Amino acid sequence: MTQLPAQSKKKLGLVIDLDTCVGCHGCVTSCKGWNTQNYGEPLSDIDAYGADPSGTFLNRVFSYEVEAPNKPAQTVHFPKSCLHCEDAPCVTVCPTGASYKREEDGIVLVNEDRCMGCGLCAWACPYGARELDFMSGIMKKCTLCVDRIYNENIPEEDRVPACVRTCPSNARHFGDLGDPDSDVSKLVAERGGIDLMPEQGTKPVNKYLPPRLKDTLDSAPPKPLESVSEEPKGWLGWLDRALEALPGSNGKAEDK
Amino acid sequence: MAMDQTIYRELKATPGVWQLGVLLIAFIAAAGGAVLYMEHHGHAVTGMNNQIVWGLPHVFAIFLIVAASGALNIASIASVFGKAAYKPMARFSSLLAIALLAGGLAIVVLDLGRPDRLIIAMTTYNFSSIFAWNVLLYTGFMGIVAIYLVVQMFRRIDYRIVRSAGLVAFLWRLALTTGTGSIFGWVVARPGYDAAIMAPMFIAMSFSFGLAVFILVTLVLFRLNDRPVGEELLKRLGRLLGIFAAAVLYFVAVQHLTNLYAAEHIAVERFLLLDGGVYTLLFWGVQVILGGLVPIALVFLNPSRSSTILASVLVVIGGFAQVYVIVVAGQAYPLEIFPGYEVLEGFHEGVVSPYTPSIWELMLGLGGVALALFAAGLGAKVLRVLPTNLSDANVAAKG
Repeated sequence: MTQLPAQSKKKLGLVIDLDTCVGCHGCVTSCKGWNTQNYGEPLSDIDAYGADPSGTFLNRVFSYEVEAPNKPAQTVHFPKSCLHCEDAPCVTVCPTGASYKREEDGIVLVNEDRCMGCGLCAWACPYGARELDFMSGIMKKCTLCVDRIYNENIPEEDRVPACVRTCPSNARHFGDLGDPDSDVSKLVAERGGIDLMPEQGTKPVNKYLPPRLKDTLDSAPPKPLESVSEEPKGWLGWLDRALEALPGSNGKAEDK
Repeated sequence: MAMDQTIYRELKATPGVWQLGVLLIAFIAAAGGAVLYMEHHGHAVTGMNNQIVWGLPHVFAIFLIVAASGALNIASIASVFGKAAYKPMARFSSLLAIALLAGGLAIVVLDLGRPDRLIIAMTTYNFSSIFAWNVLLYTGFMGIVAIYLVVQMFRRIDYRIVRSAGLVAFLWRLALTTGTGSIFGWVVARPGYDAAIMAPMFIAMSFSFGLAVFILVTLVLFRLNDRPVGEELLKRLGRLLGIFAAAVLYFVAVQHLTNLYAAEHIAVERFLLLDGGVYTLLFWGVQVILGGLVPIALVFLNPSRSSTILASVLVVIGGFAQVYVIVVAGQAYPLEIFPGYEVLEGFHEGVVSPYTPSIWELMLGLGGVALALFAAGLGAKVLRVLPTNLSDANVAAKG
């Protein structure tokens, strides 16, 4: 029987800053690249340059229009991938035990050799974070780049998920959310990081940092700036007066 | 207990039987071709997508699986509830139940992403998964009903053994349909499912669909061999079908009323009942009116042979529409991650997912139906499961 592991001390996950994400889809592209060229079966691309492209992605970015009361509307870009839930329903519903959660670091994975592509885990996931790959016939999901973060054959600075490494606006952060002293945990505490759909009771490890409210104009008109210039003196004063006296300069001479 | 004087004979190979057999084989072959095509090109050639991972083949499959347990009704009524009038049909009822389940399971297996890995599901059980339980329930049903059929066919056997086997089969079929309904009822993440009433509703659906399929298949086989079926018997079966169809409508009404009471399900109810387009049309037009109210009115207001036949056809059509709405509409309705907010750009996020079944899916589904009917017909051809006479005089003599 596939059981969820007892609470693991280490909880690797992502912290995604919705305030700084610019929706460039760099993480999507980088994720697709790494997970197609490396571990497991490649992620499919069907009719990629045609009229109706489709394919499998482990990470997608959605853009929402958000309008707080009495505030101007703002666009919030929302990257979505597996949240590596502590109480992952996708694991418990899997009939073959192909879906599992690692005890050592809490990463939720699919054993691609055991998945028969029944699709039930895709139903069970309230976030829609699992995709059935139509070419390989098996379920695909974010692996948190498990073949990268422990990979001693690549430089140490690269041992983070591909999406984190590539994000140009530093909106994605990776670390141990089970350690209250980790950078990601501090970031979550400082910025009020939230769970996605907490009412589902899945206890996601990944956290989202909410967007800050944008600056707005005050209702009172701005005060006019006070002049800091002084009357010119000396030669500059004579030149100024001479120029003012010329015909056409503010109409002074012509008026006479 | 009334003595069983019924004579059972194999189906005679009339030209009509051969023609029907060839037609069914053609459908099975077409389904085989569709499976090969989908295997070669991947499910991308189907109408399915990341949101809708169960499409038309699963609608056929679930309909057959649900109907399978209901097809056993007649045998259960005879053995468990002691109604001797139903006893002559009990053997074929058991055989049809096995055949329908085989057809449905064939579709499910062939529509898997990796059908070759079915062996993993049959050798590794994750008991926290309702699917794993269903694997046991389906295989168990096959075995138990097969034993039940065999004991019914023994010439000299203590009837208590038949009754005991019938009771086990009856209880098992209740568990089986509970398991099928729970596949949907236990999916908390989808607002279109997530309802405990799914399990009893599926039991009511199985009673109704299974009886309708049993009536139609039995009548076709009897007609092919010119065996008589009594008008009164058909009226009786029609009334029973009407009661089952009413029970389905009752559960459907309770399900939707309960959902309307829960704030988190109001949006999906609005989608299903009011502005879901084809799904709303299927729900009201085909499921409720054509497949529910009309057959009930037919069998109770104008009981006759033709009313029972027409009601059975309509219940099958309505039942298919009901399963389509449950399976496809439940997936098409979007996940609401940020309720009330509009998605400006995304991959069908926050909007109703489009789904148009492909011809390959239709071929696979029809092939499963053909397989079930072929298996039932073949069973009737080689086994003595069909009585020679179901005329009212003959049935009345048995009580």
